Amino acid sequence: MFKKALLALPVALALGATANAQKAPEDVLQALIDADPGSVYLTQSEMNIMMMPDSPALWVGMDGEDLFHTARGPNNVSMEACDFGKGPGVIEGAYVEMPRYFEDTGKVMDLETRIVHCMTEVQGFAADDPAVRQRHGSGSDHMKLQTYIAMQSNGMEWNNPLDHPLEKAMRDAGEVMFARRAGMSDFNCYACHGEVGKQVRASRLPATEAKGEWSKAISWPAFRVGHDNVRSSQHRVRGCYYQMRQAGMLAGSDASIALISYWTDMARGQPAVLPDMKR
Amino acid sequence: MFKKTPLAAGVAVFATILFTGGCAVADAGKSDKVDYTAMTPHELAEYLIFEANGGGFNLSQEMQEGGTARERMQQDELQKACSLLGNANPDAETAEAVRTAATASITYPEGGIQLGDWERGRVLAWSGFGYRVGHNYDDHKTREVGGTCYNCHQFATDRVGGSVGPSLTGYGKTRGTSEPILKYVYDMIYNPHTYFPCTHMPRFGASGFLDEQAIADIMAYMFDPESPVNE
Ligand code: HEC
Ligand code: HEC
Repeated sequence: MFKKALLALPVALALGATANAQKAPEDVLQALIDADPGSVYLTQSEMNIMMMPDSPALWVGMDGEDLFHTARGPNNVSMEACDFGKGPGVIEGAYVEMPRYFEDTGKVMDLETRIVHCMTEVQGFAADDPAVRQRHGSGSDHMKLQTYIAMQSNGMEWNNPLDHPLEKAMRDAGEVMFARRAGMSDFNCYACHGEVGKQVRASRLPATEAKGEWSKAISWPAFRVGHDNVRSSQHRVRGCYYQMRQAGMLAGSDASIALISYWTDMARGQPAVLPDMKR
Repeated sequence: MFKKTPLAAGVAVFATILFTGGCAVADAGKSDKVDYTAMTPHELAEYLIFEANGGGFNLSQEMQEGGTARERMQQDELQKACSLLGNANPDAETAEAVRTAATASITYPEGGIQLGDWERGRVLAWSGFGYRVGHNYDDHKTREVGGTCYNCHQFATDRVGGSVGPSLTGYGKTRGTSEPILKYVYDMIYNPHTYFPCTHMPRFGASGFLDEQAIADIMAYMFDPESPVNE
């Protein structure tokens, strides 16, 4: 059954109908490795690289495809009516250009907050509907939709726009947050991601200055083997603040989007691995 | 606990400019809509953390050390000064100010620096429990606070340690247990900025993360001839 469903995958991947969308995530990762063969972070798990063609994230993305194109919510419309920055329903290459400024909300939004917006404003879901509220886990609508939409940017270069003054302001505030030490351990993000080739216990750490490493690092959604679930950027941000002994990050807060704007900018020009597989 | 005088030239600035005037607000008279683009990056970062829609973090959560997350997120002077550097090393002036303040923060046990129980120290050096908040709160009533030392250091080689800091394998065996080396390690654990201004190693004593007994036990793990660190 596993094998049979696998045959359907190229169809899903071809939906974007570009060469990039047809390139498998493991090929994109391989290109990053070829460009930086000495990177311990990129090469840490041969096992994961081998498992990528059968990644459970691909199935989550396929569920997301159905969900995306199904008319839902009190307004009975599909996500095709929603603008992810490139016009209604256009998702090819949309994710690598987020976070971005949206005219209709006057805000810089990441993929997750944009999906919330589409669910509530376009499809008409109440803010406390489980579809909107449940952000984590492979079974959540959020992770299905995020994975499907992000997959349409696989292999494309990170390129979040900074033309709008708000985009620039959020990115710059994210830079400050990245370096901002606070809490019981005085940590900022550089404490663990500021130097190449380091590890925390057995975990290999990606470094911001190794651009290929950083590109894989921010490639979410990814199937986290240790969690047995597909995880989002927002989930990762929350996890790192937790390890830093700082306060609990609120999902979708402007602070989280500022940070994600900066971390995306740091991977600019590098190809995104979507969906990725992580330890 | 920490010096309140600024440790770097730039630090004094953002303490005073934040939200005192109308600069952060697009049109204070007509609307309460805040204009992010009118703020400096530092002002906006502080605003997003502490103010925007009630704050970007769960700021009302109670912390293990007392107070709320809002207080936990506020920076002391050392954190401010070292944050301004981004990923760079401190300039001479900042380094000196940080070093001086760090040295002044260190207090010593009444009977002098002692080595405690290396077996408990081994447990504490390994444990990553303590002071985590948010979605999976570390309840200090259920377990004692560890030192997280293995996150960044290798000690005895039977377990995998991190490499953010140098390997401490065989520390006591190679350095001996003279008074100056014991003081050096005590200081490093208490407040490492006294030797490495703006280091990424936490201030375990100065912050209250570890108490006197825990420091003595972890030091025993590093120095006791019986400890597997010195095998
Ligand atoms: C105390 C150390 C520490 C700090 C500080 C820290 N991180 Fe991490 N970070 C980790 C660890 C450990 C991982 C997981 C790596 C692994 O498991 O392979 C990680 C993973 C990541 C990843 C994904 C890479 C991956 O393979 O999972 C990103 C992106 C990231 N961190 C961003 C940040 C940001 C942004 C900050 C600051 C808000 C931050 N980190 C602060 C330790 C830290
Ligand atoms: C976040 C990472 C981190 C953690 C956690 C950490 N350290 Fe360190 N430690 C460092 C770094 C980095 C250095 C090197 C100083 C520098 O260059 O900044 C260091 C240096 C040291 C040194 C000095 C080594 C020498 O011979 O000069 C000692 C001793 C030490 N650490 C002990 C500890 C102990 C004990 C703990 C746990 C209570 C601990 N460290 C936790 C990062 C860490």
